[in-house]
Amino acid sequence: MGQQGPHPNPPRPQHSLTLAGEETSSCAKCRLEDSYLRKPRWRWLWAMNKDIYFEKEEEMTTRLATLTRPASGVDWRQQTSHRKVGFGLALVGLMLVTVTLIINLVVAGDLGASSALSNLRLSFGLTTLAFGTIKIGIAVVLVGILIRLWHRVDSVKAALPGLKAEGDGTVQTGAIKTAFGPANVGVHTPNPHPIHRMAQTMWAPMLAMGAMALGIGTAVSFAWAGNETDVALGAWTQGLQFLGEALLLSGIAMLLGSTLRALREGGGSVQESLGLGVVTLKMPVTAKIFVFLMATGLMLGIAQFIGHIVVAGGVDQPAAWFAWLGPLRELSLGLILAGIVMALVTIGNVLAFQFNRICQIIATGM
Amino acid sequence: MTTATPRIAINTTAKSPGYSLPHKMGRALWAPMWLMSLMAFAIGFILAAARSSIVADFGVVDAGAQRLSHLVPAVMFIGFLAVFAAVSFSIARILGALRKGGGDVQETAGSEVETLKMAATARVFMGMMVMGMVLIAVMVVLHFVAAGNVGTWSAETLESWAISLEGFRRLGVAMYLFGIAFGLGTIIAVLHYQSGRIRDLAGV
Repeated sequence: MGQQGPHPNPPRPQHSLTLAGEETSSCAKCRLEDSYLRKPRWRWLWAMNKDIYFEKEEEMTTRLATLTRPASGVDWRQQTSHRKVGFGLALVGLMLVTVTLIINLVVAGDLGASSALSNLRLSFGLTTLAFGTIKIGIAVVLVGILIRLWHRVDSVKAALPGLKAEGDGTVQTGAIKTAFGPANVGVHTPNPHPIHRMAQTMWAPMLAMGAMALGIGTAVSFAWAGNETDVALGAWTQGLQFLGEALLLSGIAMLLGSTLRALREGGGSVQESLGLGVVTLKMPVTAKIFVFLMATGLMLGIAQFIGHIVVAGGVDQPAAWFAWLGPLRELSLGLILAGIVMALVTIGNVLAFQFNRICQIIATGM
Repeated sequence: MTTATPRIAINTTAKSPGYSLPHKMGRALWAPMWLMSLMAFAIGFILAAARSSIVADFGVVDAGAQRLSHLVPAVMFIGFLAVFAAVSFSIARILGALRKGGGDVQETAGSEVETLKMAATARVFMGMMVMGMVLIAVMVVLHFVAAGNVGTWSAETLESWAISLEGFRRLGVAMYLFGIAFGLGTIIAVLHYQSGRIRDLAGV
């Protein structure tokens, strides 16, 4: 990259340094530009977007960051209401599912009743709404975790200078192997991966779109319950509600991606603030599987929605279509959940690595 | 918002306490559960495709279609049982990393090690996970029972079973999700406590 003379990307920090025989910069935009220009196939993308890349993303990210980061100067002891709100929503969802269980048992006890089919459809719509409500509660709790992670970063930054041993000040940069996987040692906090940027930008729109699809689907389910012969209303209800569920789960997955970003950025900033080598884990296999499963699950969620639209438009044998569309939507949610497992496993590994690094800094000062 | 120092019961020990039993279970069992879920979802979807084909050729009243109408949800919900268990075990694994890591840091700093006692939210998390798992497992077994009785039981009885089992299955899923919310909420409490504890160690 070799930025010389006036820096083209003010007002970010403007200095260069030499690392492992290559010139690099503390400026995040310069390092991002460098990473694009190294790969010829991406140069055109940078040329098209370099002027707006940061501004647009930063505007969106800054707005969302106010939800997931504590404002500067906020006391770490302040308790937020995320836990209470999340638990409350989860309780509402659980109670709603209990009501729908009672509806199902009443219908099962008298299948011949005139209202049986109508009640079953009502039960379906309300159950899916209840699941969505609990998932929104989980998302609220995850936002609380993100805020608490940044308080943790501030606390570690404040405490470590007083706890660490005196090191010799040398930093060996480059790739290393750790007990937690391969890592890089640098002198600056590393840039977030593209998936981190996407997660930070997309979690809120995903949750909002999911809630909307779920809400509209629930409203359609009420119309479906009142119309015993309309196949189209049934198809719209199932398609919309489960598209909403897939989007909500994807929003949760994106929040977990944002958590991984916070861990990476926070861990790097702690080490950088102490003037130590910034040790950061390379993206582990579990994180790659997480992205793959989440994307596949979301695509299947969209595919089942399209399938239901086709049924709503009129097909010869709707029963045969519903026979595979139902399990397809379950497969979609199952894959996103399997991706969420991978994200949680990655978070567990990164936390273990960070505790190990803190112990190392305390013991050796390096 | 209120300002408060965390008021949670703690244990004090000379050394890092390491992982407790639920954490060890989480570390050992998340991967088998995750794999089992993927296999069950794949098998369930293949069975669903077979049922769709039978329904297209012979209608929903065909014995094969009726049998599969119980087998498909049974296998799919083995998948959900396993994937929700994997999510729960992964959360337990994170809580284990926080407990062991926090203890290790205190021990390395030469301080006595303070560790949170199991919070009420963690008990709710484990209780709901177990209840959700058992409820779904029982429903899966009953689906297999119903599938085995196609041709013996009347169509009305089979339908009645399907509707009842569906309601209980959903309750099992809701219990799992409810427990997961509480497990994640426990992480907030632990992070809050650790933010204060490391400041105490440094006297800042």
